[in-house]
Amino acid sequence: MATLETQQLDDIIVKSRRKMLSLGTSALAGLVLAGVTKKADAQAAALTDADILNFALNLEYLEANFYNLAVNGVTIDKLSTPIGITGTGTQGVVVTKANFAAVPFANTTIKAYATETAIEEGKHVSFLRNALTTSAVAQPQIDLVNSFNTLAQGALGIPAFDPFANDAYFLIGAYIFEDVGVTAYHGAAGSISSPANLGYAAGILAVEAYHAGLVRTAINAADLTAEFAPTGTLTGYTQAISAFRSKLANNGPASTTTNGGLKQDDQGIDNSQMVALQGTSATYPSTTILDADNNSITFARTPQQILAIVTGNSPALASGNKGVFFPAGLNGNVS
Amino acid sequence: MAGAGITAAAAFIVGCNNSSPAPTQTPTPTPSPTPALTDADILNFALNLEYLEAEYYLYAATGSGLSSTDAGSGAGTTIVPSTGTKVAFADKYLLQYADEIAQDELNHVRFLRSALGSAAVPRPAIDLTFFVGLATAAKIPGTFNPFSDGYSFLTGAFVFEDVGVTAYLGAAPLISNKASYLGPAAGIMGTEAYHAAEIRTIIAAGAASASPTAAQTAALTNANLISALRGTISMASGNMLAAESPVSIGSIVACDSTNAIAFARTTDQVLHIVYGGTGGAGVSMGGFFPAGLNGTIKTTTT
Repeated sequence: MATLETQQLDDIIVKSRRKMLSLGTSALAGLVLAGVTKKADAQAAALTDADILNFALNLEYLEANFYNLAVNGVTIDKLSTPIGITGTGTQGVVVTKANFAAVPFANTTIKAYATETAIEEGKHVSFLRNALTTSAVAQPQIDLVNSFNTLAQGALGIPAFDPFANDAYFLIGAYIFEDVGVTAYHGAAGSISSPANLGYAAGILAVEAYHAGLVRTAINAADLTAEFAPTGTLTGYTQAISAFRSKLANNGPASTTTNGGLKQDDQGIDNSQMVALQGTSATYPSTTILDADNNSITFARTPQQILAIVTGNSPALASGNKGVFFPAGLNGNVS
Repeated sequence: MAGAGITAAAAFIVGCNNSSPAPTQTPTPTPSPTPALTDADILNFALNLEYLEAEYYLYAATGSGLSSTDAGSGAGTTIVPSTGTKVAFADKYLLQYADEIAQDELNHVRFLRSALGSAAVPRPAIDLTFFVGLATAAKIPGTFNPFSDGYSFLTGAFVFEDVGVTAYLGAAPLISNKASYLGPAAGIMGTEAYHAAEIRTIIAAGAASASPTAAQTAALTNANLISALRGTISMASGNMLAAESPVSIGSIVACDSTNAIAFARTTDQVLHIVYGGTGGAGVSMGGFFPAGLNGTIKTTTT
């Protein structure tokens, strides 16, 4: 690993920690839309199973394209066995950097993780499209360039971030998605009517949780070996991203008081934790591979909270819920 | 363990990701027609499994099990190896993982006991020496002891976590009060999947490292011996899921190969697993639960 990259990562985390200490409501104002919760309540009542599955399909389009670009260098519709992207709504392209190429993986283990995840996320797209048949939404426009830069600016206080640059950056890019997928399926499960659809959604939820556990374990391992950056760099990065996701989902610090008494609904990897186990004093060294509440139950987020994360909920747009990963918004009734 | 032949341990079936059919085609036994299960029945079933997991991880992390308060009034005895259970972890990060998961499983016990209130069943009798019989049937060389070192501990954990995922996934649609209980059940399942991925990733990555230790190599070999045994028996039984592909760095997630959706198990399938693999209806104890589970869901019907 080049010294320059190591320095850059180190710089990122130093800045991010400093940034998180000073982040106030004003710093996030450009990314947070007021009234998120009310809107979510109003919308949840009218959702059909197809609406929810189409909402999930939008997210799977995003994940599948990210992983397949990382591994294969092409979008899912350009694979040797293409995955369909047509459907209702406005079909969009995937925006990538100029002269795009797959991640130049240096670590074969991390590449293997990426390959497996790319295949599984692609299957989720195909499965949901098959389940929805003619009502499946088209792939919306997806941005994998400006989106990461925007998040880097908001969460980490740096101008740009390219998750396709190297193994470590790829892991961080994956980190941004997987826990969010878990909370999205968890939050939507209770709104699903059909037992069969519930089973499918719960089964995909479990796979997203496997992916999340996998990427968090991989990040922790890479961090411990300092293969890519000094120890503490990558885990610190996850903490900053989790804190930022939580702020987006909960409309800023003022309303982040739910979920088992935690101040936020997300947590990064922290190897300095202690747990009590036997007795009442926390004396056993622990970590936070799991992203869950005080009952060790994974977090759930409403569709509107997920929209806030994946679109940034820019109030500059009159229609709202466009931006970041979905510059033209999502397709379907949850948008 | 006497009698723990291939039939005995063979039913330790965890999810697989190679040749399984789509969820709609996954063979499942006919569910028990009567009596109708209440939400309390289902949560108590889950509580039994959480007692088992909590005991395993707590004994490994601390050398002792659930407190009398957490085990409940009238709790059964937990049998542990006479050689001790607190694992001497050589790697700090493995110690941290064990401690974190132990706390998570303890939290699940406490959460379910709290949710059930006075309806909560106490911990049943649990036998953590059953790993020996399982390992023998899986053809793991020597006498397997999951508490002997960090990587043996991982192999022991491998037995449990995917089963937890499939058990919750199978039980979730049975829950009546979706507003109160579906969310927590789905969230506990999510946690079990994080755990499963964590365990499988460490096992696979350790063996794939540049200079794996003998323990790292053995952990993957032993995990896949258990996996292969499960596959062999599952193919011989219409009551079990299809064969699973071996764990490797390119095959971490346990899910069906067509749709990448995690597997669900019926309560009967889970009972057969934790009771040690004796097939058929009427099995009410064995394996990790020498006196059976506590609660309504105790005896297999298929």
